[in-house]
Amino acid sequence: MNWWDYIILNPFTNVLLWIYNLIGHNFGLAVILFTILIRAITWPLNAQQLKGARVMQDLQNDKEWLDIQKKYAKDREKLAQEQMRVYQERGINPFASCLPTLIQFPIIIGLYQSVTRALAATPLTLLQLARSIYPFMNAAGIIPLNSHFLWMDLGRPEGLPFPGGLTIPFLPYGFPTLAIIVALTTYLQTKLTLPPSTNPNDQAAAMNSMMSIYMPLFLGWLVLNYASGLAVYFVTSNVLGIFQYAMMGRVNWRNLLPGGGKPAPSNVKNR
Amino acid sequence: MKRLTLISFVLLGALFMSACSSAATRGTSWPGLAVDANNAYLANGQYVYAVRLSDGTKAWQYSVSNGAFYSSPLVTPDGQLIVGSIGTDQGLYSLIPATGQQKWVFSGAKDRWIATPLATNDTLFAPNNDGSLYALKIATGQLLWTLSIGQPLWGAPVTDGKLIFLTSLDHFLYAIDPQSQKIVWKTDLGGSAAGSPALSADGTTLYVGSFGSKVFAINAANGAIRWTANTNAWVWSDPSINASNVFVADINGQVYSLDASNGQNSWSNIAPDGPITGSPLLTTDGAVVATESGSVYSLDHNGKMIWTTAIGGKIYTAPVASGNLVLIAPLGAQYLLYAVNEKDGSMLPWHFDGK
Repeated sequence: MNWWDYIILNPFTNVLLWIYNLIGHNFGLAVILFTILIRAITWPLNAQQLKGARVMQDLQNDKEWLDIQKKYAKDREKLAQEQMRVYQERGINPFASCLPTLIQFPIIIGLYQSVTRALAATPLTLLQLARSIYPFMNAAGIIPLNSHFLWMDLGRPEGLPFPGGLTIPFLPYGFPTLAIIVALTTYLQTKLTLPPSTNPNDQAAAMNSMMSIYMPLFLGWLVLNYASGLAVYFVTSNVLGIFQYAMMGRVNWRNLLPGGGKPAPSNVKNR
Repeated sequence: MKRLTLISFVLLGALFMSACSSAATRGTSWPGLAVDANNAYLANGQYVYAVRLSDGTKAWQYSVSNGAFYSSPLVTPDGQLIVGSIGTDQGLYSLIPATGQQKWVFSGAKDRWIATPLATNDTLFAPNNDGSLYALKIATGQLLWTLSIGQPLWGAPVTDGKLIFLTSLDHFLYAIDPQSQKIVWKTDLGGSAAGSPALSADGTTLYVGSFGSKVFAINAANGAIRWTANTNAWVWSDPSINASNVFVADINGQVYSLDASNGQNSWSNIAPDGPITGSPLLTTDGAVVATESGSVYSLDHNGKMIWTTAIGGKIYTAPVASGNLVLIAPLGAQYLLYAVNEKDGSMLPWHFDGK
């Protein structure tokens, strides 16, 4: 067993199973509650990340910043010096939005892995799970996990049967309802929380735009192929993400409109 | 630069997720192994292999689209090789052992096949992960009847000629009457049971281990518990029995020799070098066990080590005997199949690498 298992995976798996045991052996509900718990714990990090991103985004539309970009477009060294000067003058940390993301990343991976580990579907994965469970958890009483939730078996990819027993080779599990829901909620979350930019040369905005297309497709593909318990986590996480942004007044509903994307009112001042 | 960082970030995440999710959803597990007079049959991932016992060469290999094979194949009395898939095909396949050609396939189950089926003269009893026991006509694979039990069924059934005995992850051992297709009795094992029960030679007692860290002796006629023996950890493997003793191992790596009449353990603290999931293989000298640490141990009747051989990888599959050979199918070793001499543990010159 490695340090990752000790520090992240095993504690996460045991908390997830503890919740499962507490609420009467409903794994779908346990995943939802566990995701809420993790999102609540990482709420300050998310808020900090959002704040940092917003400050950087506002800077992209700042007149002085744009002037610097134009003036020193051909002198990278001078441009870097000027950018640093602006950062220092306004008290901006350009990495303020990166650090919380980096801290959250192992948490998200650990959450995901704990869901898949708990859904042990083969002898080898069940043996791994057995070793992850702390002695006081009464593993023998918990296993087998009840992996049925609504119409899904959370240990398997989700799909509703096609009418008339139709089979489609690249959709072996049937019509992928959850993959579509995950892709849709991911798209919504990305779109609603994208800070708009009026600067056509804004690289961050271009990246965000790219993310709003590729991330839903990527997560949809994951759900298409992997355990549907993961999809429950993604949907919950996306909905909570939108909720958090809304609570902080950051949701930009105009982004959903065709051609929408005028800057949302910002109450974040440059420091 | 930022774009590169972002892409690297997403790819790293994908790598983490893909690497860790495949086991749960795509069905990686440990190999299944069986033998007949000529060949060893190895179910390992995408393929079922037939390996000639004489020289370790490949006689044939079988695969199907979306198939994944890990359950131990079954050689039936009428000369078929039955193997179930845990892939998305969810097929239970009958192959001709000599050629590897498919004879029939049953695709009517709702989930994957982890348990090895039981064959009688005319019927195949196949437990599925969907919690149902399927009875098929052995000659054609035609479904005769289905009995829904509920939770995943991972252990191979056994029979006394009248009743079918079957463990379940739902913590119970079931006795099923194939004539009425009804459950005659069920006994709580205090935890899931992934292995098969062992039936005494006189057909009166069943021995079975469970994740409740217990071994039970159970009256085959009515399900009453005759005795219970505690173990240090989960018992995954099927018990192996001789006239007087029941041999089991637990996933902490301890091996037990229990008195068949009262469950008294006569081997104190016999623990080779790692967890044991495969059944002890009984030999004339005692028992052979294989550990997760990749070693094979031969123990005498008192539990004293006779020989040990390091194979490598991790061994979860029970060792299988063929004449004076012991066949070992490790996971993640250099080769897929090894043969060692039962008497001294020396390795045969051939190893099977799948090619």
